[in-house]
Amino acid sequence: MKDLKGAGRFFAHYLGKYWQKLSAVILLTIMSTYFQVKAPVFMGHAFEDLAKYMQLYLNPATRATATRTDFNHAILNLIIFYILISASMLISSLLISQVAGRSTGTMRIGLFRKMQRMKISYFDTHSDGDILSRYTSDLDNIFNAMNQALFEVFNSVILFVGMLIMMFRQNATMAWITIATTPIAVILATIVIIKAEKYVNRQQDDVGKLNGYINEQITGQKVIITNGLQEDSINGFVKHNDQVKRTTFKGQAWSGILYPLMQGMSLLNTAIVIFFGSWYVLNGSMSQAAGLGLVVIFVQYAQQYYQPISSLTSLYSMIQLAITGARRINEVREQPDEVAPENGKTFAGIDAKINLKDVHFGYVPHKEILHGINIEVDKGQMVALVGPTGSGKTTVMNLLNRFYDVDSGAITFDDTDIREMDLNNLRDNVGIVLQDPQLFSGTIADNIKFGTPDATEEEVFAAARQANIHDFIMSLPDGYQTQIDDDNSIFSAGQKQLMSIARTIITNPKLLILDEATSNVDTVTEAQIQAAMDNVIAGRTSFVIAHRLKTILNADKIVVLRDGEVIEEGSHKQLLAEKGFYSELYHNQMVFE
Amino acid sequence: MTSLMTFMKKYRGDAIIATLATLVIAFATLWQPRILQEMITAILARDQGTVFNLGIQLIGLALLGIVAGVINTIFSAKTAQEVSADMREKGYRKIQTFSFGNIEKFSASNLVIRLTNDINQVQMVIMSVLQQITRIPILFIGAFILAIITMPKFWWIIVIMLILIVAVSAFSFTRMGNYFEKLQTTLENNNTLARENLMGMRVVKSFVQEQNQIKKFSKSSDEMTDTTIRIGNLFSILMPAFFLVGDLAVAGSILLVGSMVTTDPSMIAAVQAFISYLMQILFAVVMGGFMMTGASRAFVSLGRLQEIYDTEPELTFPETPETDLTGDVTFEHVSFTYPGDQEPVLQDISFSVKAGEMIGIVGATGSGKTTLAQLIPRLYDPDSGVIKVGHEDIKQVNESSLRKTVSYILQRSTLFSGTISHNLRQGKEDATLDDMKWAAHVAQSAEFIEKLDNQYDAKVEERSANFSGGQKQRLSITRGVIKQPDILIMDDSTSALDARSEKLVQEALDKELNGTTTIIIAEKISSIIKADRILVLDQGKLVGMGTHHELVRNNEVYQEIYRTQKALEEV
Repeated sequence: MKDLKGAGRFFAHYLGKYWQKLSAVILLTIMSTYFQVKAPVFMGHAFEDLAKYMQLYLNPATRATATRTDFNHAILNLIIFYILISASMLISSLLISQVAGRSTGTMRIGLFRKMQRMKISYFDTHSDGDILSRYTSDLDNIFNAMNQALFEVFNSVILFVGMLIMMFRQNATMAWITIATTPIAVILATIVIIKAEKYVNRQQDDVGKLNGYINEQITGQKVIITNGLQEDSINGFVKHNDQVKRTTFKGQAWSGILYPLMQGMSLLNTAIVIFFGSWYVLNGSMSQAAGLGLVVIFVQYAQQYYQPISSLTSLYSMIQLAITGARRINEVREQPDEVAPENGKTFAGIDAKINLKDVHFGYVPHKEILHGINIEVDKGQMVALVGPTGSGKTTVMNLLNRFYDVDSGAITFDDTDIREMDLNNLRDNVGIVLQDPQLFSGTIADNIKFGTPDATEEEVFAAARQANIHDFIMSLPDGYQTQIDDDNSIFSAGQKQLMSIARTIITNPKLLILDEATSNVDTVTEAQIQAAMDNVIAGRTSFVIAHRLKTILNADKIVVLRDGEVIEEGSHKQLLAEKGFYSELYHNQMVFE
Repeated sequence: MTSLMTFMKKYRGDAIIATLATLVIAFATLWQPRILQEMITAILARDQGTVFNLGIQLIGLALLGIVAGVINTIFSAKTAQEVSADMREKGYRKIQTFSFGNIEKFSASNLVIRLTNDINQVQMVIMSVLQQITRIPILFIGAFILAIITMPKFWWIIVIMLILIVAVSAFSFTRMGNYFEKLQTTLENNNTLARENLMGMRVVKSFVQEQNQIKKFSKSSDEMTDTTIRIGNLFSILMPAFFLVGDLAVAGSILLVGSMVTTDPSMIAAVQAFISYLMQILFAVVMGGFMMTGASRAFVSLGRLQEIYDTEPELTFPETPETDLTGDVTFEHVSFTYPGDQEPVLQDISFSVKAGEMIGIVGATGSGKTTLAQLIPRLYDPDSGVIKVGHEDIKQVNESSLRKTVSYILQRSTLFSGTISHNLRQGKEDATLDDMKWAAHVAQSAEFIEKLDNQYDAKVEERSANFSGGQKQRLSITRGVIKQPDILIMDDSTSALDARSEKLVQEALDKELNGTTTIIIAEKISSIIKADRILVLDQGKLVGMGTHHELVRNNEVYQEIYRTQKALEEV
């Protein structure tokens, strides 16, 4: 129910501005329904007139008075109505295709816009696949429902009501006969839908488990091969597969039965109408011709009567999916935006120092990661953060350009709290080289000037040279115009890191944060990255998060973090002399004899 | 297609019942207008008895239709499920015979998609084939014949109607084809942009590129919207056009009957039936068209499954008797090229290792370290040369003997969902709690396992999300050592461990698995500094072999690696 309300708000928001088109669609649907339910009447008249004509004609006494004018008139009306039905269907279908297409487009862009405004914490706590599926399957489901269900729902409801009105206006007795079976059909449909839903859910669960099993086993196939576990793996599979076979059968049978059942009900209903209709006509006081017309009209109605019900039942799952989709997109829309101060202070460079003052921080409440960190960095200094995994090094980086905000304490640039600064301006001046640098689809040049789209070619070349990647780029057939994307990269992990350095150099940041790449890079490549990093660091205030000590021996200051606290601080030489934690780390990593 | 038939054969009975039920449904649908025609004649003749009889027939026919519909659905669903379960099982069994090479060629995620999505497509089509496809031609032909029998003079109306339907469909679908292709590209474009931005959100934010990315995405999204609307417009034409054609045929028939009825009064009853048949023909053609579109997708899926069935394992093991192998390893002039590659990854490698030795392998990324190690448990076969384990050519040894002898711990530690003990028993089927404890102490995993609530029965979640990288590696080492193998290969499998734990693991291995040949691939020289011998690889060639002290003195490649890792000043 809550879903339904949310979905209502969601669609009202996105469809609101199409109210004119949607009203036109409703109007056209009412018209087309009117034509649709009225057409059988003309057909009935045509037959009635034709029968009258025939009787007059076949009787030699009245042959002279026989005329087909009425018949021709009825047929003409019928044809006009048929054309109007198709025309109104066409126009409303075109309108719906516009509305569904445009509004889904707005939703898609809206989702993307929202994504750009949200806090980093959302992305850190939700899987990429889950967020992406909102762009793909959820928006798809919503589009399909709007495109197909919207018209069908209007049409079915209006058609149903229209048909009831027409039937009762034509002949109440026949109308009652036609709708007599409705309760049975509705009860049957409800039972089948409830059963189907139960078994389809069970089917989805089991299919999910089977797919999970297949995915896990085949992704880990190398372990299976090296341990000779193939037989065990097949046994586990067969168990899941048999389970899926059983539940899917039930799910498919129950959900598949609805359509033939409704078709059958329609067939049965037509039979009943023909039977009792004929009986009624023969035993009534009607003329033969009028009776015939009546039967013809109601046969047409009976054939159509179940159509709205059966199309509504077949739309049920589609609408259900769209409601779920709306809820999932709403979840994103309701996420808080990043907090950016209005009229924040601008910042042109660091004159004196950067301070972290008694910084406390945790990603989730009551689970503090940093327990009161104090770090002071003078202009132009290079500070290295060192410590074991989980000590909080990366967390410090997350705070420096406000991916997250401190819980208490403050980070200040020249004594100005960074939370008072204009957010974009702050980030313009803080450059980050991430451990796992994401590249974007486009040319190599586009990627290097990612942060400064109007950089000149010379600037791009210069940045690449400083990052030691220029020669490699020039060796590619298309040079800087080579198309790349993140999946299918021509770069090795180390070269990606160099690209990321080039991308940062070109923006000429006042403060630089380097999160070192370590995984998948051998130590020779690492030395190349190191050389590029040295180029960028030169003369700049910088934070380096070091995983291998080799890279930070020249730092002006080394800060050793452990369990969210600063335990040691000083130059390499000073720290070695202290013979503390750093010294032990250094000996374990770097000294071989 | 032929493969589908082989799978269906087993469930012939069910499929035949489903098809027979469709025939009954088609019959019921086709016969109703016939009875209606007689009914109208009876009404005109005021023949109560006939009306009653026909009425009973009509209702009987309808009930028959319902029963047949239910039977058809049940047996169609049954056949579809049985067949797709069999197809999935056959595929899975086949994949279990695959070697590393086969799996890499397909890629694991691709195989998963084939076993899930593709089979799903096939299953849906089997279901709808059994429910509809036999019925559609029967309905079409039946309605066509009955319509012509009912009103032979009006055959041309049917033909004109069909020509118009085909013309409209051809107009729409040929245009749609191009747009569908474009839709696919724009869709992929959008998804790529969304995914890149998701994964690179920190980059976007730190470079303040939100507005530019929104602009880029909006452009691509608008393109997709336009294409969707174009396709929607073409679809919009279809239904109204079909209806119009059918309706006009109906009106035209009635009009023509009007001018003939004086010479043949029975026509007034016949045209009612004729109209119903016209509508059924229209319905059959439209449904048939939609079915074809669905079926064409299933054929693609079927082809992709067939590829799995047709793939032969790249290497097979001989059915020789079980043998006990020692820990000696010999490479004789071994060269290896990955399938599809031009350049060999390993060139003319020869060396031999005595049982119980500890061997280190170093070299830059891409120098062939992992490839060399993977040849020992025969995960691939070399292009040329011979590899011997325990003095036997491994091509002559059966699979379980080799697996029993060699334990290979992969670079990326993979655990399976279940419990810790479940994962450890993958290394040794009948491992006791003591075995597990022993192995966990060697691999330094005991310290965290024994702190868990259920200890060795603690749950391992999917993607082993409840363990850190270092813990995963230690569990994976535990699984590797539990069977006390004669040969233990560790492929950079201590990379996520801190220096202290790594040292402890090595000391324990040294003490507890003294007779085991240990082969360690490492980035860090500190990991292999104590090895009896170190092999140095450079671009697929063995360029050095010796102890750390020897290599530091006389091997250039080794010296360079060492230089990048050693301390500035010797302390």
